[in-house]
Amino acid sequence: MTIIHNRPLDDIAETAPTIAGNAFTRAFSGGSLWRLIGMLVLILILGFLTIYPLAMLLYGSLHSTPPGMAGEFNLNGYRSIMTTQNLIVLANTIGISLAKTIPSLTIAVFLAWIVARTDTPFRGTLEVLITLPFFIPPILTAMAWGMLANPQVGVINMVWRWLTGGTDPLVNIYSYGGVIWHMCQYSIPFLFLFMVDAFRAMDPSLEESSRMCGASRWTTFRKITLLLMLPVLTSSFMLSFIKGIETFESALFFGLPAGIKVITTDIYESINHRATPDYQYATSLSFAIMGLMFLLVIWQWWMLRGKSFQTVTGKGFRPSVMELGPWRWVTFAFCVLFFFVTVVLPIGQLMLGSFFRFFGFYTYDMLTLEHYRSVFANSEFWRAVRNTMMLGLLGATATMALGAIVAYISVRTRWRGRNLIDSMAWLPWMMPGMVLGVGFLWAFAMLPGPIPIYGTIWALLLAYIALGTPVSVRVMTGAYHQLSYDLEECSRVHGASWFQTMWRIMVALAWPAFAVGWVLTFFGIMRELSASILLYSVGSETLAVVLMKLWANGNAEQVSVIGLMMMLLVIVFRWVQLSFIKARISKL
Amino acid sequence: MTTNTSMTSAIQKASAIQKWSRRVFMAAAGSLAISAAAGLPALAQDAEWQKVIDAGKKEGSLVLYTALVGQPSTKQIAEAFTKQYGISVEVLEARASEIRERVRVEQAAGRFAADVMFTSEGQTMLYDKEDKSVDPLPVTPNSQKIGDKFKLKVPMASVMTIPYGIMINTGLVKPADEPKSWKDIADPKWQGKILSDDPRAIGAGYLWFFSTHDKIGEDYLRKVASQKLVFTRDQRESQRRTARGEYSIYMPVIMTDFSDLKGLPVKFIIPEEGVPYVLYGTVMLKKAPHPNAAKLYLDFMQGPVVQKIYASLGYGPVLPGMTEGLPADVKAISEAKLYGTTDTTRQNEMLAKSKDIFK
Repeated sequence: MTIIHNRPLDDIAETAPTIAGNAFTRAFSGGSLWRLIGMLVLILILGFLTIYPLAMLLYGSLHSTPPGMAGEFNLNGYRSIMTTQNLIVLANTIGISLAKTIPSLTIAVFLAWIVARTDTPFRGTLEVLITLPFFIPPILTAMAWGMLANPQVGVINMVWRWLTGGTDPLVNIYSYGGVIWHMCQYSIPFLFLFMVDAFRAMDPSLEESSRMCGASRWTTFRKITLLLMLPVLTSSFMLSFIKGIETFESALFFGLPAGIKVITTDIYESINHRATPDYQYATSLSFAIMGLMFLLVIWQWWMLRGKSFQTVTGKGFRPSVMELGPWRWVTFAFCVLFFFVTVVLPIGQLMLGSFFRFFGFYTYDMLTLEHYRSVFANSEFWRAVRNTMMLGLLGATATMALGAIVAYISVRTRWRGRNLIDSMAWLPWMMPGMVLGVGFLWAFAMLPGPIPIYGTIWALLLAYIALGTPVSVRVMTGAYHQLSYDLEECSRVHGASWFQTMWRIMVALAWPAFAVGWVLTFFGIMRELSASILLYSVGSETLAVVLMKLWANGNAEQVSVIGLMMMLLVIVFRWVQLSFIKARISKL
Repeated sequence: MTTNTSMTSAIQKASAIQKWSRRVFMAAAGSLAISAAAGLPALAQDAEWQKVIDAGKKEGSLVLYTALVGQPSTKQIAEAFTKQYGISVEVLEARASEIRERVRVEQAAGRFAADVMFTSEGQTMLYDKEDKSVDPLPVTPNSQKIGDKFKLKVPMASVMTIPYGIMINTGLVKPADEPKSWKDIADPKWQGKILSDDPRAIGAGYLWFFSTHDKIGEDYLRKVASQKLVFTRDQRESQRRTARGEYSIYMPVIMTDFSDLKGLPVKFIIPEEGVPYVLYGTVMLKKAPHPNAAKLYLDFMQGPVVQKIYASLGYGPVLPGMTEGLPADVKAISEAKLYGTTDTTRQNEMLAKSKDIFK
């Protein structure tokens, strides 16, 4: 009963009356020639951002030498990846990614439901707090967990030994479990952020009907809530699973000592730790993985095809919460526990450590503010902050605008080419960051001389937009799937222009999702290193580059200071954003 | 703050050295007869060099790419260079493979952005042989004065060596038990207690593997492999992990890091056999936009100002006599006997061997 079959979408897009106006309005408002041109422009933009760098990489995978060097076309790259060893590593990688995605998704759904749909106390504060680890550079949380959970002198194990009097460690972060746990630190908050507004925007009437028909809370949650969330859930699953295949810090940091190999460490090694970087091998392997990933996208299309998931309709959009009674303290306890384990433990370490000369040596004579002073006195740091802020604000806004347009066309219209742009927008997500970074380098540097992108800050901006597009499109797709067509039609029937409709209905109602996507993209830009290091030029250093330099020089404490400042910024952003959402919802 | 004081002293040194190098030139001019007999008219050379200086100053700026990431000394040296010649230095830092690909692609696309690069001997060989992205070395006044073993076949003007040794946790290792040599690492008492940089990938661990393989032999390495080493690829974090007591030994450690870890329960040991090392130097890139400034920089890096800066940090200078007056601990590291380094031409073979021994 939950999956209602779609009414013909063609009605909306194809038969919309042609409206007079400027060319730009017409481009998106029905005139088929202008629409065609609009689509073409969009395809060109996406093509430049995604297909072009990938084409350079494809060339790299099929050519014996990277672009710009004499060589020949051959399939040696693809031949060299066909080894049993690689197959084992691939199976291992998929296993690790599944092992982190499934629990992460489960926990994230539960948390999103608690925060958005129940009357759990302090859920507003919890919503901001439980997502904090996502915004911290992975290397910092890795270090913190290394200190907390190493088998020899990890804090957790010391406490455990003291409590039990035993000698065996309780946890060992340098293991499969450790790798997965560290990945979960990022995927749970990411998925939570990605889904929470979908939960919030859901019309509760369907759930209420289910309850009235005698279904239990659990059945309602399973059969109504979860099913309605299918587009968001499948998108989440795929984003998280694919990212899991590509994640690399956790495996390098915690997996290497335990002999755990994943695809990305192999790629990393082929670029960074061989006599000559083997780009043909690295790119071939990446394309092979990409091929596999695309099967997932097709699976999602197939699953969502011809179904509708509209929960935000013209009537009764009243976000209500479920009253849990005494159970609300259980959900509250769960959130607090989660907050304690994933935030207080690692970030507490970073915070504490930033006031001492060395992490882990907490004696009175080691107390210092030196790390804060050094960071504040570092002119390069401030320059990087300015650059990163500029790139973040511009980049996140542009990415979300692009994502919103792509999502709108692919979800709400029947225009020819909509599947093409949707899949183009997926592409950057499927290429491991360090390989895609090389793709951008090749693409931008090889542009004809007069096009001044390489070596300027614009190269970074374009790369960031490309890298952020998959998330922005997914976030907006999820939101648009939920909006009923009645709303749009109603607006048009009442004489609103296409742009007015777009603004009042599609933008205003999808605004919370837009804002979440914006924050995700903004902080994605703040953290991005693989492409930045290959594209930055003197004077356009980004924060990630500065962090990398400090880390490489052993200034872990200063890196933490910056990490904590980034976190503070997140709290401010999220607080502003959530207050806005609340204000808006109460207005509605 | 500390940087400032060392800066001022470096600048003072710089002007002192200016006088000093002028004196050397006078001396060189004095021995004109000898040089002339050898067919090298020193005065003419001097005048030639003056032309380079004038042209370099006219160029006004220099773009440096460096693979030595995050070192405060880079900035310190750049400032001293600017002070001496009035040429500003723009620095771009990235890891070796990244910077190499950037240079290669830039040149392939006809974007000649960088003038000089600070990198290792092994990388230079690749730049030269495979990418063909470097120019032959110019002869500069200082290039004649460096130690003979640092005059290379590859077009790199040697600047300094990075020494690698052994680090122990003094809380876990009693003074009597301290390993004194690379051979001591094979002692079974260290089983499971050694954190090691991964020898199966290019890096410090591989450097140790390469030099001990050639000097001690494969049996030794197999013995070490049975010690159940724990591998890592993060130099600095590994030092901290050892300091916090996760492991008794970390090896091979960048010896020059000792000053950053003062106050922690660790000790840096120079092995009896000597220190495996990486030789760093400056190369001149093809079609450098500021070729004369680049030549001046190459020369400056081999001159006493920079050589003293590196020696004072514990790196091995290539110019003799630079370690005088240094504190004893720094001096010992800076003067440590050089044990061995890697050979790029044998890299694939040796990586395969390492993967075989350290499965």
